Order: sequence, then C-alpha cells, then structure tokens
Amino acid sequence: MTENSTNKTRFTFQSLILLLVPIILLAGVIALFLSTGGGLSLESAAPVESLDVERYVLKQNSIELHVRNTGPQEITIANIIINAAVMPFHVEPGANIQRLRRAVIHFDYPWSYGEAYAITIFTSNAVAFNVEIPVAFETPQPSSNTFWGFTLIGLYVGVIPVFLGIFWFPALRQLGRRAMTFLMAVTAGLLVFLGLDTLAEALDFAIKVPSAFQGIGLIGIGTVGTFLLLDAISNQQTRIMGNETDRGLAVAFMIAIGIGFHNLGEGLAIGAAYSVGEIALGTFLVVGFIIQNITEGLGIIAPVLRDRPSIGRLAIMGLIGGGPAIIGAWIGGYTPSPFLAVLFLAIGAGAIFEVIYEIAKLIQKDTAREGGAMPMTIFSGVLTGMLMLWVTGLLIK
Amino acid sequence: MKSISRRDFLKVGGLALFGTAGAVALNQKNDQQPQTSRISPPMQHGDGIVPGTVGEVDHEANGFNPTDILTDFDYGEVSTLPDGRILREYKIITINKEIEIVPGIKFPAWTYNGRIPGPTLRCTEGDLVRITFQNGSDHPHTLHFHGIHTGAMDGVPGTGPGGNVQPGGSFTYEFDAEPFGLHLYHCHVFPLARHIAKGLYGAFIIDPKEGRSSVDREMVMVMSGFDIDFDDANDFYAVNAIPFHYQNHPIQIKVGETVRVYLVNILEFDFVNSFHLHANFFHYYPTGTSLTSAEFTDTIIQGQAQRGILEFSYQYPGMYMFHAHVTEFAELGWNGMIEVTE
Repeated sequence: MTENSTNKTRFTFQSLILLLVPIILLAGVIALFLSTGGGLSLESAAPVESLDVERYVLKQNSIELHVRNTGPQEITIANIIINAAVMPFHVEPGANIQRLRRAVIHFDYPWSYGEAYAITIFTSNAVAFNVEIPVAFETPQPSSNTFWGFTLIGLYVGVIPVFLGIFWFPALRQLGRRAMTFLMAVTAGLLVFLGLDTLAEALDFAIKVPSAFQGIGLIGIGTVGTFLLLDAISNQQTRIMGNETDRGLAVAFMIAIGIGFHNLGEGLAIGAAYSVGEIALGTFLVVGFIIQNITEGLGIIAPVLRDRPSIGRLAIMGLIGGGPAIIGAWIGGYTPSPFLAVLFLAIGAGAIFEVIYEIAKLIQKDTAREGGAMPMTIFSGVLTGMLMLWVTGLLIK
Repeated sequence: MKSISRRDFLKVGGLALFGTAGAVALNQKNDQQPQTSRISPPMQHGDGIVPGTVGEVDHEANGFNPTDILTDFDYGEVSTLPDGRILREYKIITINKEIEIVPGIKFPAWTYNGRIPGPTLRCTEGDLVRITFQNGSDHPHTLHFHGIHTGAMDGVPGTGPGGNVQPGGSFTYEFDAEPFGLHLYHCHVFPLARHIAKGLYGAFIIDPKEGRSSVDREMVMVMSGFDIDFDDANDFYAVNAIPFHYQNHPIQIKVGETVRVYLVNILEFDFVNSFHLHANFFHYYPTGTSLTSAEFTDTIIQGQAQRGILEFSYQYPGMYMFHAHVTEFAELGWNGMIEVTE
C-alpha cells in the first residue's frame, strides 16, 4: 500500500516526456495547418473587421472618438462622415490600428448643444462603423467642479444611504433574538436581490465589452473566483477564531465588502451614464437611490446586532460599503470602461452570494439554538428583504 | 468590545448630518452649474472647419484625373463613308478595377475603358456611329445609349445579342447620331442600379450640324455617387467621380471667358441631383436639344439620367463655389470651386 502511494507521487523523466507528447503533436498540427491550410479554403470574400467605439469626447468645435480594433487583423481608418458631411480628421497614434490596440480619432466640427449626431467611420476596406451621439454637450473634463459633481453623486447613492442604515443600530439592538434572526433573514433577502441585480447589470455591460475580451466569461471568473476566495478566507477565520462574536463581525465586514463592490459598479454605471448625458440625475432619482440603498446599511449591521462593535468599526464598515460608489462615479465619469465595470460587478456579485451563504450559516446556528422551529420567520424575512428593494426600486427604474 | 453609548451615537450622527447638510448645500451649487453650461459657448465657424478629405487619391493608379476628364472629348476614329457621311468608330471595353475614390478607400468599380465616368463620346448630328464593345469584366454588360436607334442597338436584355454581352464577348453597336443634344450611355444589365452605380456610365454629346455658338471653354461634368458599403445608399457624391476634387483643385478660368458645361446626372439611389453656381447666373439648355436657352438661373434640378447644357462667364475675379444645392450631397463630396483670374 505504501509502495503504491510513493509510486503515484513519483514524477519521472518518463512522465515528463509523456506530458510533452501531446504538446509537441499540437505544435506539429498547427505547423501543418499553417503551411497547407488544412485543405480548407479560408480566403474570405470581404475582410472581417471590427471596431469598438469605447467613448466619444465633445470639446468646443471638435469631437474625439476613442476606438479599439477588436477584429482579427490590422485596420486602417480612412474616412469620417458626420451628419452627412465628410470631415478632415487625424488619428493618434496613427490611422493603422493593430489588433486590440486603441486609437483616438480627432476632427473639428461645429456641433450644437443638445442636438443629435450620427457619425460613420469608414475603414480602408469600406467597412462602416456607426457612432451615435444622442445628445451633444461638452464632455466633462477632469476639473475641480466635475470632480466634486461625481463625488456628490457617489455620496448620494452610496455613502449617505449606507450610513443612514447603520443609524438603526441602537434601535435594533433592543430587539429580541427571534426578531434579530428575522432581521438576518431580511438581510439575506436584500442581498439575494442585490446579487441578482448586480449580475444583471454585469450582463448588461458585458454586451458593451469588445468581443475579444469575452464579457460573459469575465463575469464567470469574477463571480466564482470571488465567491470561492471569500469562502476560503471565512473558513480560515473560523478555524482561527471560532468565537461567535468575531464571526458576526467578520460576516458584517464581508457584507460591507460585497455591498461596496456593488456600489462601485453602481457608481461606475451612473458616472458613465451621466458623463454621456444618458441620464439626468433628477432630484427624484437621487431620493430613490437614497431610500433604496438605506437598506444596504441595515444589511451590514444585522450580523453584529448582538455584539458591541466600536463606533470606529461601524464607521469603517459604512465607508467600505458606501465609499466605493464615489470611486466608481469618478472612474465611470472620466474613463468609462465596460471591461472594468463588468469585472467589478462580477466581483460584487460573487462577494454578495458568498455573504448570503455566510448569513445562511449564522441563521442555521440561531435556529438550531432556538430548537429549529421558526420556518415562517426565515421565509417572511427573506421575502421582506427582497420586496423592500423591489418596492423602493420602483422609484429609480 | 466597547459598547456604543448614546453620546457616541449622537457624535457620529451629528457628523453624518453635517456631512449631509454640506452635501445638500453643494448640490444646490451644482444644480446651477449645468444651467450655466446650457448656454453654449459661441462656436466660431472659421475657415478652419470645412468638410473635405485629407490627402489626395492616387490618380495614376486610378488611371484618370477628374481635371483632365473635364475637357477630354473622344471624337472617335473619323472616316468618310462612300455616300459622303462621316463615320465615327469607338472602342469601349469594360474592366473591373479598384478605384481609389477618397484617400484610403478603394471601390471595386466596373468601368468603361478603366475610368469613371467612361469616355465622353462626341459626334455630330447625322454621323454614323459605330462602337465596338468588348466585355473584359466577369459579369455580362452592355452599352445602352440614350438617343434614337433600332431596338437591336438598344443594349437591353431581350433585344438580341447586343442586349446581354457575356464576359469575354463583344458586340458592335451602330446607329445614326440623332437627335442633337447632350445624352448619356450606361450599362443596362440587371440589377440595373448596381451596374450603373458601380461605374458603368458616360456622357454622349451629339453636336448640331450647324454647331453651337463658339465659347472659350467647354467642360463635361458627370454627377454621380458611390455606395461603398453596398446598402443601396450613397456614401459619397461627386462630379467626375472623385469627391471634393474641384474643391481641392479649383477649375481655372479667366474673367470674361465664355464657358459651356455639359452636365449629366447619373446618380443612383437618390431621386434628384442639382447644380448651383455661386455669384453668377447661367443659361440653361435642358437635354441640349434646343439652341434657345430655356432658363436664366443659378440653380437647376436634374432627376436620374436628366442632363443639360449650361453657359456662363464671370465678370469678377475670385473664388466661386459650385455644388449640388441638395446640400447634403455637397458636404459628402459634390462640391467644387472655380478660380477666376484676370
């Protein structure tokens, strides 16, 4: 038996060769295919070209298009037509764009505030790519004014609501055990809703990610990776601490992190939409965000209601949960990147789902202690949590 | 673990409330900001912003230059028939050719004799016209002339061998030149719009026996467009094929010189085209079939295949624009300049 197991683990020169054989064969097949074409006729009638317009920037009397070549081969920008006018242009660093490289197309154009523009970019192979500017206005440039603007957006949608939620702490501490379990279930419901919402938003952004970067795959990597990483960390902590109070605190922090990523994604989305004029952040919308996100603060404190975390810790949790909305608004407002948005949202979704799992474990412990007899408490709690977000969401959508 | 006292709680709450109040105050300031930016800053439409192309197409590779096409008339090989009539013989071959229509973009064109528009065929009323047509392309093509002739010479499918000349094949079209005027020729094979839009068209001038009044300069302008992405909508417009050519290379004339322009519209996908001359008026002879001017104007409209002759001269030196007054065509290439010097 022992001999057998040592045999298994021994890695010999022979096994190295065996490992390499398929790779060598693969190289052979590729070489053969490249030299002969493998018997397939692969000449396409028309060149396959793909160009992503990642963003446009409107300045006084001029327009910039930030493009990325997402096709299989190099492409050359040959012509720009805006609202039925051929415009002289120049491309930085050059009109030839390598695969996956970016370039900026500049041209002068006397655009008018509030009007719509349709731009066609022609490549040298006469392939047309269309860009629409639904509402023209000067793109906010990084300045103290716009910086403040985006900071305020983040403050409203993230920081303020989360802190307002945390202010429920003293009141909720007075609750009995059963009510607290109910509250945990509410939190789980909130998080299920938020998790789904985050995933849906990630899927939305994934469409805008250049196809070469495989947005959907990115969501899988971000979500599953984050879930398993947080799970591993939490298992490690349980082994080290074991103390139930610390566990509650750890879960609270993890909820804060998950919600933080969610808010980062939300900030990115709002900042990006705001900077291209796709949404007007009306008073009503801001109020809606505050009301909806106040529940996030509630979620953060639920696992630690029984304990006595310091004010400092509560404040840090609030910042972790809400602060990223500001960072998101900055990034989204100045350099909207669908790639980053998908990644952050996927991480957020993974974190949120892991936290739900942690809360489920806490609830299970609670119910075991209570004799396991409160099925309706859990049901009504989770549903209440989900409904809270659904109803307050009516204000925003 | 420290417990939270009521006092601590109020401290945090106060801080947060202060923050909120501050934010609200800032927000009010922020609210006004978009309103000020709503009054858009004055935009100068200086000389710096003008539609146009950057650089120059490769005329040599294209095999033709619009500046030369202006004054390039093909009178054919002239001989006298036994009965004393003039015989004019022309050779036309269709060639598939990549034409660089704007810098950097090549259009897979079909051409007569390797150029767009095809050669401007010119003859006199009553001449016998004989065109040896060869199809060097990989699609069937024909020559369909606007004029008066027999059905067999009409170059339309269903009229005999001249109505569908196969790749590698040839056919000789022959007819009397009538009536005098400004006409055109083009391919008439299905799908028709595509065969024309790919470049198979040209001007056909039949001069009246007694001739027209003598002028200092004669020019041919064939108005057309290019649908480079094949969505049955033109992406570029031009006279004599290359968008903005005469904007980049103004036509040179002198003060007081009389100018005659043979203007043909063979634009596909759009219903009308037009011609507008700046700071001047011209006499207009629709289809050129009368020697009396029909109109004294500065703008005319032509539908598909309509054509007419313009006569004008400039009194003052300067740069004068001419373009389609279907103005969206102008900024997509159908724009030119005439430079008048002393």
